[in-house]
Amino acid sequence: MDLGLIVYALNLASIYALMAIGISILWSSVGVINMAHGATFAVSGYAAWLVTGALKPVIAASLGKTALASAAMAGALVGSALITGALCGVVIYLLAFLPIHDKPNYPVRALIITLGLNIAAVQGLLWTFGPRSQGLPKIFGFGRWEVWGTKIRYDQAGTIIGAILIMTLTLGWLRYSRRGLEVRAMMQNAEGAAYSGISRQATALPVLMLTGALAGMAAALLSQTIFVSPTAGVIPLIKGLTIALLGGLGSVPGALIGAVLVGFLEAGVGAVPFLGQRYVQFATFLFIITVLIIRPRGIGGLLDDTRE
Amino acid sequence: MTEKRFYQVGRKPWEWRLKPAGDAERARGRVPGTRRHWLKWRDVHNDKSLKRERVMVDKKPLWWTIGLVLLLFITPFLPNSMISVVSIFCIYAAINILWTLIIGTAGIFSLATLAVVGVSAYIAAAANVYLGVPWPFMLIIGPMAGLIFGAILAAPSTRLDGLYYALLTMGVAEICRVFVVQLRALTASGGAITNVDSFIPEDWFLQRPGLLLGFVGAFLLMLGALLVWRLVNSERLGMLLRVAKTSREDEAFAEAVGIDFRRARLMVFIISSAALGVVGAFYAMYYRSISPQIFSLDQLLLLFAMMVIGGLGRAEGAVVGAAIVTIIDKGLIELGPPRIILVALIMIGVTVFAREGLMGARNQFRDFRNRKAGERRARRTEKGGEAMPEEATEVHDKQELYYRRFNKRLRDKLKDMITPELIAEHQRDPLGHHSDALARVLNFFRRGEMADKYVIHRMKPAEEKFRIMAVSGARGMPPRVVDDREYSDIKEAYHAVFLLRVNDLLES
Repeated sequence: MDLGLIVYALNLASIYALMAIGISILWSSVGVINMAHGATFAVSGYAAWLVTGALKPVIAASLGKTALASAAMAGALVGSALITGALCGVVIYLLAFLPIHDKPNYPVRALIITLGLNIAAVQGLLWTFGPRSQGLPKIFGFGRWEVWGTKIRYDQAGTIIGAILIMTLTLGWLRYSRRGLEVRAMMQNAEGAAYSGISRQATALPVLMLTGALAGMAAALLSQTIFVSPTAGVIPLIKGLTIALLGGLGSVPGALIGAVLVGFLEAGVGAVPFLGQRYVQFATFLFIITVLIIRPRGIGGLLDDTRE
Repeated sequence: MTEKRFYQVGRKPWEWRLKPAGDAERARGRVPGTRRHWLKWRDVHNDKSLKRERVMVDKKPLWWTIGLVLLLFITPFLPNSMISVVSIFCIYAAINILWTLIIGTAGIFSLATLAVVGVSAYIAAAANVYLGVPWPFMLIIGPMAGLIFGAILAAPSTRLDGLYYALLTMGVAEICRVFVVQLRALTASGGAITNVDSFIPEDWFLQRPGLLLGFVGAFLLMLGALLVWRLVNSERLGMLLRVAKTSREDEAFAEAVGIDFRRARLMVFIISSAALGVVGAFYAMYYRSISPQIFSLDQLLLLFAMMVIGGLGRAEGAVVGAAIVTIIDKGLIELGPPRIILVALIMIGVTVFAREGLMGARNQFRDFRNRKAGERRARRTEKGGEAMPEEATEVHDKQELYYRRFNKRLRDKLKDMITPELIAEHQRDPLGHHSDALARVLNFFRRGEMADKYVIHRMKPAEEKFRIMAVSGARGMPPRVVDDREYSDIKEAYHAVFLLRVNDLLES
């Protein structure tokens, strides 16, 4: 396995990790399997496309073709994707959490509502923008680095670094802030957290906004490699869900390990000559199913009894 | 003689009753081969008229019959495009009924239903096209494929639970799609098998007689699915599973009384998978082709939306949901993407507001109405003290109602009498000659119930120190102290008690 393959694997792993961590945190703290994560992904991609399209002439007029201009462009792209993702989180909070969180059968109903939101959002995008995919501006520019004889594309390196940065920030926030402490308490034991005065309603909103922003970040980073289309969210959603499962729903380290494993597996299978790119999905799902049959609670998942 | 007419007053819902002659013998048909009756009749007798009456307790079979017969007789008069919509509705309804069996009865949250349909459709179609098996045998190959695939799928369901299994099966569906698309033999047609032989003759295909034949086939398919539902859900397997349905404690209980609920769940899953195999073979024959579209997530979500809108876990919910969604999706096809948005919005709305889908809305509304009526009644009784009409039907001792009404009117009168002059008069002379109004008020107070009646307590013998207490009203329970004020004059204490009672009267 050469260095280029490792970089490609890390690239995949960082996108998957962004999606999987969001789904995992959301499930363990709020109790929602967020099927609208893919919609959040697609909507933030489109928002970033609209914002950068609108700002492009402004930036070009005021800053010209300087490094500052591309930095401003990158800021606009990432910022708009993050903000839209967080706003999508607010919508999910208002529809799938607030009205039903104390009603019977809440997890299944939340799942259904987010599923409905996903369908509505994807069809809405299809209706407004058409099925054509849109290219976003390349914030990392075109070009390659030469490292030890292999070429690394700027967008790959940027994606890996950006994902690691944003994940470190998220995990740091969870670890060191007051709100993060509350979220972690809810992840461990929602009932106990409620008894010690942690409001479920007040904590769910920042969690949903955060996970939405993570999906937005994933959209901004992935749009450097592929185009944005209304159905762009489906594959990241399925991948994120299955990796969150593989890691054991609710376990952040498990999700990270799962993402790295799947990233390397996909890169590896894609590189094997007689299997090729066509069997990547196949191999991933087979791998995940095998792991789940051996360890039904995933890699980092706790046993049922310990969680209860 | 004119019959006395009774007005339907009260809280019992009015229902239609047969009035058989008193001396007529009771005759009820049974389903051949079983001990079940066709309809659930109950013989009752009317308390008031003392006449014999017959009530249909479960009216669902009636609604099913009416709906299915209407569907069968209206469809031949519809235009061609609508006939195919109705046929598709029948196929979807059949799939949904079997899926409901898996999710509702067996409690296995599987999302691989369409994958089972697709796999068996592909295997049956391949047998027909590549091996030359005639079409009636497809209806045997399909369920066999479904049975085997279902057994493979069911294996991990005992180890994984709930959402884990759901997502796993979603992955299986995706694998099936990718596998079929990657097959080299099918790349020319984009993964589809075409030119499948069918029960519809080739020159009738997409013609009116062919469409009608297709509809009849789809209708029979739906009836078959309902039969499977009935046989599994209402017979032994379903009864066993109902014990272990809702919670983990129920599962432990079922295990303790010797019900192997895991095996029963697997049985239900495998039986439904075999039945889904029949649907798959039919599907391939109906369209004369089968494409990877059947494994797609969108299709799966559309079917799931049907069940959710109708109500998860109910056969009638599966059928009604299928009707609503198919009409929107296939009937309003010129609307474009907004129709799917409409389906999604209906799905969200139903889930936010209804506990168990549209078919559960009636019960939910009844619960809601009863709760509101109870709240209102509680509020009114608290305020007025008089019994409300709907409460009055439930109070057995009617004397109590009249006393309450009298008491209420008396209190209303006495409240008007209480004036500052009256209070001043009592303060001046708590024991002596009173005016007419004060005497009436004091008489009312004397009649008060023992519970919470105020009394004066001399704190130490031979010392002028008093405080006010309230008796508990129960034998052996000591009185409680009302407040910590102390009075050095007995007249002051008398007046304080009077003020407390006046206060209570005005507040009541």
